[in-house]
Parts: sequence; structure tokens; C-alpha cells
Amino acid sequence: MRTSVHPPLKRLAAGLVLAVACAAAWAAPAKTDAADEKGVVVQDPHYGDVLFHFYKGRYFTAVTTLMASQQFGRVAQHADEAEMLRGGLLLSYGLHKEAGEIFAALIDKGVAPSVRDRAWFFLAKIRYQRGFYAQAEEAIGRIGDKLPKQLEEERALLQANLLLARADYAAAATLLNGYLADKKDPSFFTRYNLGVALIRSGEIERGSALLDTLGKTPADNEEQRTLRDKANVALGFAALQDQRPEVARTVLERVRLKSLQSNKALLGFGWASASLKEPKRALVPWMELLERDASDSAVLEARIAVPYAYAELGAYGQALERYNDAIAQFEREASQLDQSIAAIRAGKLLAGLMERNPGEEMGWFWNIKELPEMPHGGHLAQVFAQHEFQEAFKNFRDLQFLAKNLADWQDNLGVYGDMLDNRRNAYAQRLPAVRAQAAAVDIEALQKRRDAAAAEVARVETEQDAAAYADARQRALMERLASVQAALQAMGNDPALAPQRERARLAAGALTWEMARQLPERSWEAKKQLRTIDANLAQVRERDAAIAQAQKDEPVRQEKFAARIVELDQRIKGLVPRVAELSREQQGQVQELAVAELVRQKERLAIYATQARYAVAQLYDRANVAKKDDDAAPKQ
Amino acid sequence: MIKPLIQALVIAVAALQVAQAQAPAAAPAAPAPAANVTAAAPATAPTLDGRIQDVKGDVIKLNRDLLVLEEELLFPASTQVALFVSMDVGKLFSLESVQIKLDDKVVSNYLYTPLEVAALHRGGVQRIHVGNLKAGTHELVAFFTGQGPHERDYKRGATIKFDKGTDPKYIELQIKDSTGKLQPEFDVKVWQ
Repeated sequence: MRTSVHPPLKRLAAGLVLAVACAAAWAAPAKTDAADEKGVVVQDPHYGDVLFHFYKGRYFTAVTTLMASQQFGRVAQHADEAEMLRGGLLLSYGLHKEAGEIFAALIDKGVAPSVRDRAWFFLAKIRYQRGFYAQAEEAIGRIGDKLPKQLEEERALLQANLLLARADYAAAATLLNGYLADKKDPSFFTRYNLGVALIRSGEIERGSALLDTLGKTPADNEEQRTLRDKANVALGFAALQDQRPEVARTVLERVRLKSLQSNKALLGFGWASASLKEPKRALVPWMELLERDASDSAVLEARIAVPYAYAELGAYGQALERYNDAIAQFEREASQLDQSIAAIRAGKLLAGLMERNPGEEMGWFWNIKELPEMPHGGHLAQVFAQHEFQEAFKNFRDLQFLAKNLADWQDNLGVYGDMLDNRRNAYAQRLPAVRAQAAAVDIEALQKRRDAAAAEVARVETEQDAAAYADARQRALMERLASVQAALQAMGNDPALAPQRERARLAAGALTWEMARQLPERSWEAKKQLRTIDANLAQVRERDAAIAQAQKDEPVRQEKFAARIVELDQRIKGLVPRVAELSREQQGQVQELAVAELVRQKERLAIYATQARYAVAQLYDRANVAKKDDDAAPKQ
Repeated sequence: MIKPLIQALVIAVAALQVAQAQAPAAAPAAPAPAANVTAAAPATAPTLDGRIQDVKGDVIKLNRDLLVLEEELLFPASTQVALFVSMDVGKLFSLESVQIKLDDKVVSNYLYTPLEVAALHRGGVQRIHVGNLKAGTHELVAFFTGQGPHERDYKRGATIKFDKGTDPKYIELQIKDSTGKLQPEFDVKVWQ
């Protein structure tokens, strides 16, 4: 079995989505057309990530991810918008205080007018929701002309609601009237509220005319159709009260046969016909009502309205039979209600609702879609239609989500703790090897060798000692020349050896010249190598310092992580019993709300049963009087 | 006889209820001073609803701290690389899935739901992968699968080589419409 979405609830949810979505929009002053269409130009990818979760309807993930990204300082380009979004999301979870502080802080900070106006709007809304009407009016009065168009209608509605709250119906009507005059296509809500405001302010004719027009307007969606039905039912019953049954029938006929308002409309249509002394016609909607869910008060009333119509038609026997059937049915219903109350108190209602309405996350944009399998579950449709019950159950469901969230994190933290232990063990195992490796490298010895080489390079350059850079061939040549010259020396001054001496001198000169020519290049190359050595040495020193620092830091870092894990674990452990206790309390409250409604249904049944018994007694009286009259009549 | 019974219903229905976007949560309490915008509402007794809101607030803050710890522990800034997917207009391409390889290793195979595609269309940016990479040069290859113009199956790739230093690296894979070519385009943006 499916229930319809509770209209005010749906309206609230839709309004919040719009309001929060607006918090995400208008981020950048310079935007492309495409960006306008999309509403926001993402300048920090992590802000886009938050929007992705938000647009997916994962509001809990959106707000927690946003707060984590704010902590990391990676949504700086959208700082104010991010705060607006956070405030809106927290507000949607009912965290009025935090949300109010965020919006107030934005205003105090002197943000851009568009952000400021939205912040005032949200503050007004929070204050209205909490019943601080005067402060809400003060906040709404401070909204400038930079409020996004999407929020303008909500602002007008909020302002009208504030005026209605202090019974200034005329002002509310004037406000809404002015708003409607400027707007090409005002929402059903605004028109409905204006109609109500006009009637309450004494302008019954105008208000009724507006509701009448609304009652005939084609509707695009379920919310509009529901409002249209509501307007027609309200007009119909007002006409009944004013003894205008023809009008009542006309407007009640517009109500859809299957809708939240249809039972009331059918009942009213019947009474309008009865008023027009057309009991036969009254029977048509009332008989239809008898086929419907008996938990609705209109259906219950139809059970005694039908015999009333039979009595009016003079069918007293059928009337009596129907009254007696109704009494028996009321008694059965009362007994079934007792069973339902017992089942609710045994926890079956919430267990069934949770089982049949799973949801991934905590959120306001959620409603009961499937009724639980319970004996006589039909009674509960009225319970679920209540805003108060829906809100209370949503809180209960949120608490269940929080309990699961905490349990999941507790598991994760356990894993992270183990992971950290493994890291510490691995670190402890690797540390000696790393230390040994580091110790094996004698950086100071290397430095000394480098310094000696640098000094040699400098000396060679100063002394132009080209032979210092001689390569292997040149060194071999130098050795050979030295041995030749030594041999020639040993042979004395023999003139026959003069050519050899000359050749040796030339060869030595050529070699010296060659090395001298190569000296600048070799000197440059040596210096270049020195620079490479310096860079490598610096790298070695850096790495050595990093290892030394890591040896100091890593244990501290790991200790800090361990301490954070312990602290967070403690916070989880502190929250788990709080959530469990609140869940129990909330379960009790939800159950009592449901039970209270069923008790009301029982009381209604008792009243109807009394009325039926009274009618039965009247019928018997009538029969007795008739019999006496018959008896008293002279016999023919 | 029965008519009085209708009265209750008539009054209940005809007492026109204002359709409100939000019913006040509670009856008005003593008004709070409105000297300045930061003035908070007066302290109220810790009702069940109030305590539930408190616990929600505490769990939300705890989740923030846990997410921060998780990221710092698992993906330290010095090695972190985060990959994002975004869609600019996207009228010429209906996204179905993305496969991403980092250094020839598949790190993500993601199949999109219509809701996720809509979230991208509205300006959301999906963080599709977070991982760790050593400092140095790396290669990213992404394959986008879906339907292109005229509802034809479409698969395109985008490749980029990037250097990973000691700061976190954020890389965005962008799906764009090239109105000139009437074809979708796939770009890679490396955030600094």
C-alpha cells in the first residue's frame, strides 16, 4: 500500500532543496551562459565534489565532506558559498543553532550583498521555525534586493506567514496581493494562502473567489492537485455552513475521487444533497464511502449517514438494520484498534516501517512510502498522514542512521589502528637497516676528499700545471720521454746522438704544448665535476638529514595518529550510548503519537456508536408510536 | 438527528488552514533580544528534539574529524593524487561509464546512474579516485563510454603525463561539448 506524500512536508522539502541549492549558486561574478545554466563555476574541485554529493541527494555525505574540505583549506575560492551551503544543510537537519551562527557570522563578516541577503533570509526562516516571530520579521526586513529570484516567492510566503502569525490578515492579504500582481505565474501555495488571508481578514467574497478560481485551475503535479482539492473542500464546507448546499455540491464535485481530500468531499456532497431533501442522491457518495478505509472519520460517519438517508426515505427497516450493522462494525473496529495499539507498543510499527522504508542517509527529503505489514494496518494511514508523526519518525530513522554510521566508523577505526601498528612495526624493523646504511656512508671523509680535489684543481689553475691533467696516453708518453732523456743523459755528450737529443726535445715540447693547449678545457671539466660532486654531496647530506629528521618525526607522527584514533574512538564510544538512549526515547515518542491517534479514532468510534444507538432507539420509539397509533385506531 | 455530527467535521475542515512551507516547531517562547545578528535564541530546556539535534551535530563534527584523519592516514599530502570527473554542458555525450588507468594499472571502473549524470550536469564534480603516487612522472589514461551524437555508441580516451611532486595532485577529467565540431571533447586539467 502506498501513501501520498504529505503536502506541507513535500513543500518544506522542496523549499529546502531550492534554498540550499541557491546557496550553491551565484558563486562567481564572471560566468558564462553555460555556467549560469549550471548555477556555479567550480573553482575548487573539492567544492564541486560536495555539490556532486548534494545533487545526488546524499546530504550527510555532502555536509561532512564539505566540512572536511574546509578543514583542509581546499574550498577557499568558495569560502562564503561553502558556509552558506553548510548552514543550509545543517538547517535542513534541524540544527538551528549552528545554522543561525553560520548565517549570522556571514553577515557580521560583511560578505557580498547576494550572500548577505540569503543569510538574512535563512535567519528569518530559522527564527520563524523556532517561533521567534518578531526577530524573524526584523531579519526579513533586512533582506535587500539581491535575493535570488528563486527565493523571492518563499520570502513572500514567509513574510505573509509571519503576518498571519500575528493575526494581521489584512497586511498578509495586501502583501500576497501585491506579490501576485507582479508575478505572471504565482504558485498554488501563494494563491491559496492569499485566499485564506483574505477570508480571515473579512474579505470573504474576494477570498472565496480566489479559492474558487484556484479550485478550477488545471494542475501540473500532485502537490498542486492536492492544494486544489483542499481549496474546493474548504469552499464546499464553508458553503454548507452558510446553508448553500447547491454551491457546496458544485465545488465538492471538483475534488478528485481518489485523493487525500476525497472522503471529506464525498461526505460533504452527501450532506449537501441531504440538505436539499435528496436523500437518494446523498446515498450515492455515502455508499461509495462505505467501501473505503474505515480509519477515516468521514468513512465512519458515512456508516451512520447511510441509515440516516434510509430513514429519510422512509425505509425504516433497512435503516435499523444498517444502524445495527454500524454498531457491530464500530465494536469490531474498536477491538482491532486495541490490537493495533498493542502491536505498536510492542515495537512492531517502527520495526516494520524501518524494514520497508530503507534509506541510505539521514535526510529531510525522505518520506514514508511503504506501510508496514501489521494487523489492521489501515488504521495507520491517518497516523502517517500527520506531519508530527512523519517528523518524529524521521528523527527516529536519523538516529538509526547515526547508530550505523558510528558502528561503521568504529570498525574502520579498528582497522586504522591495526594499520598504524603494522606501520610502526615495519618502521621499527626497517630502521636498523636504514641506520646502518646511513652510517656506512662517511660524509665527512667524502667531504675531505672533495676539498683536497678542489685544492688540487685550484693549484693546477694557479700554477698552470697542465701535466696534472695528463691522460693515460700522455702519461705513458711522458714516462717514455723521461726514460729516453735519462738514457741520452747517461750516454754523455756524444755528438753522434745530437739528432736523437733534438728529437727528444721536440717530442717533449710537442707534448707540453699539447697539454698546455688542453689545460683550459680540462680545468673547466674538472671544475664541472667538482660542482657535480658538491651537488651529490649536498643531496647525500639532505637525505641524511631527512633520515635523521624522519627518525625523530615519524615516531611522533605515528604517536599523534594513534592519539587521534584513541580520541576519536572515545568520542564514538561516548556517542553510541547517547544515540541508543535517544533512539529508545524517540521510539517511545513515535509510538505514543501513533497510539494517541488510534485512541482518538477509538473515541470517535465511541461517539458514532452512541449516536447510532440513539438513532436505533429513536427508530424503535417511532415504531412503537406507530404501533400504538395503529392499535388505537378504530378497527374496521 | 445526525446533523450535529457533521459540525465537528465542518469546523475542522472549514477552519481554513494556511498552507505553510514549515509549521513553527514550537510555541513561541520568550522573545530573544535582537540587538545584533549574533544574538542567539534564549536557552531552552533540553527537550528530546533538542537533544537529538545536539547529537546529530556532534556526529556530523565527528564525521568531519574522522574523514580528515582517514585522508591524512591513508593518503598523505606528499603522495596524494585525486582524480575528478566533471561535465560542461554534455549535451553531445551521454555518459555511461569511465575507466581510468594510472601507469597502466586500472584504478577505477565507474558505471554512472542517471542521478549521478544529472548531478554532473548541474555542476557537481565527482572525486572518482584518491590514491598515492611516488614523486616523479606518471601517465594517466581515461576512457569515457556512452552515447555520442545521434545516439551512437561512443568511446573516447584522454591521456596525460604529469609530474608528481611533494604536494597533493588534483587532476580533473573534463567532458565538454565542442559546438564547432558537434562532437564531445575530453580534456584533462591539472590543478595547481
